[in-house]
Amino acid sequence: MLVIALCKGRYLEPSLSMLSRANIRFPDYVEYGAADVGVAGRDVIMESRADLLQPLDLNFGHCRIAVAGPEGAHSINGSDHPTVRVATKYPRITLDYYNTRGIPVEIIALSGSIELAPLIGLADRIVDLVETGRTLKENGLEIVEIIAESSARLLVNRAGYQTKREEVLGMIHALEKVVQCESSI
Amino acid sequence: MKAFTQIPPGTQILIGRAARRRRVLERVICSVFEGWSYEEIIPPIFDYYDVFIKGMGTGPEEQIYRFIDREGNILALRPEFTSLVAKTVATRLASAPRPIRLFYSGEVLRFEKPKGGRQREFAQIGIEHYGGIGKTSDVEVLLIAVEAFQRLGVPAFQINLGSVDFFGGIVDRMELPAGQIGELKDILNVKDQSGLEALLETLPLGDRRKEILRAIPHLTGGRAIIEEARQLVRNPRSVEALDHLEHIYSIFERFDLAQHLTIDLGEIRGFDYYTGILFRAYVRDLGFEVASGGRYDGLPSAFGEDLPAVGFSFSLDRLEQMVTPALSMPDPDAISIDADNGFEQALQHRRLGKAVKLCL
Repeated sequence: MLVIALCKGRYLEPSLSMLSRANIRFPDYVEYGAADVGVAGRDVIMESRADLLQPLDLNFGHCRIAVAGPEGAHSINGSDHPTVRVATKYPRITLDYYNTRGIPVEIIALSGSIELAPLIGLADRIVDLVETGRTLKENGLEIVEIIAESSARLLVNRAGYQTKREEVLGMIHALEKVVQCESSI
Repeated sequence: MKAFTQIPPGTQILIGRAARRRRVLERVICSVFEGWSYEEIIPPIFDYYDVFIKGMGTGPEEQIYRFIDREGNILALRPEFTSLVAKTVATRLASAPRPIRLFYSGEVLRFEKPKGGRQREFAQIGIEHYGGIGKTSDVEVLLIAVEAFQRLGVPAFQINLGSVDFFGGIVDRMELPAGQIGELKDILNVKDQSGLEALLETLPLGDRRKEILRAIPHLTGGRAIIEEARQLVRNPRSVEALDHLEHIYSIFERFDLAQHLTIDLGEIRGFDYYTGILFRAYVRDLGFEVASGGRYDGLPSAFGEDLPAVGFSFSLDRLEQMVTPALSMPDPDAISIDADNGFEQALQHRRLGKAVKLCL
């Protein structure tokens, strides 16, 4: 028997990816072996650093994790202040990103409406998921740099992969076919 | 004040049944190790920081608890046993006859996120086999792991066996910079196909080589996988690794144990010190590996002696979460004795080896 973790209503809603992004704790279910297989956005996996197999890109929910700032901002730095203030729901990704560029960062961890932070002077930049860029535009923001591309991934627990291999591989192959079919349309 | 009312994150306290379960588990596994002529080593809980850096490599260094003694030496609480044992074998046991078989049991400390029932201080029990013939000693340690699972009454355990040489032989010839090899390993370790495609586009490799890399995440299974892998590689290092894995697989088949063994050529995770086979063991319905190990021939040479070495350890904190007959700990049966004037009776029972409980 395979235990599959899915977000509620995931395949019913047209915006499937939105739910997986909303469900931050999702990879934990799979990492802890409560579920053998699950689905989550690459952004969530990167942020949680869960130790999981990610054998399949499900090819939906495409978006980008990006640094954004007020229109006309061309650098991931903020003002001339040496430390840049960044609002985000991805504190780890943000910290890694700025650290590897040698830029001191002060992270303001928010859970929603990140795009409002620069407007009210809470932050110089934001790191957020960008799908179409419309929300950014509506708030007078634009992408400065793209950190990573994200889409929905199939996750498999390492122990489940070994102890229920036939079932897990069967499922991966079945899903692989669906993904191939859909992308060839 | 926090110090008097809270425990520091990462610590845990075992009491009563949980403590008894720990000891029973330890005894069962020790008896298996002793049954294969392994002798116990009780190494110190701290040593020079550099000892562990030599062993673990520079990746996990931030996980090491280190401190400075009054003379200014940098010391560390042991994050694993293998480096300590390797150092002991190369120094204190330099003139002891080979092979040397040792087992250990104790706590290690790593500053990492507590997960899978394992805190920052956790218990490891394992073996180290030094100076043996590679082929034979690899099989020996794997069979010992199997026996331990069987004695613990674990029905569905799975040993996932790979080799750093299969992958090593492939990338040796690609002459990629270390950074890209690291990236490639990270991607293969999570079997991330789309990530691999994206990386392959940036690598200056021919189609055939790319095909080999694409195949690696799928090379997991039984004997057929070894055959499949043979079609892909011709370099001696990879071919030798496959011969060796096939040898091990045949022995498991011969003793009717093949259902517990999975060959996984995409399994290339682990400390830098691994040089040959490496393996992890899983049990059904527990999300994390319960044992891991492999071959690390280069490690003793870091301490001055070139010696082949192989070993593995169990994570006791994780094994304890399994429910098996050996581990279902009943409360001890004790004869209740009225404490007033009861000492004579109590001593009598104790002489016969019976458990007593004085009632006040």
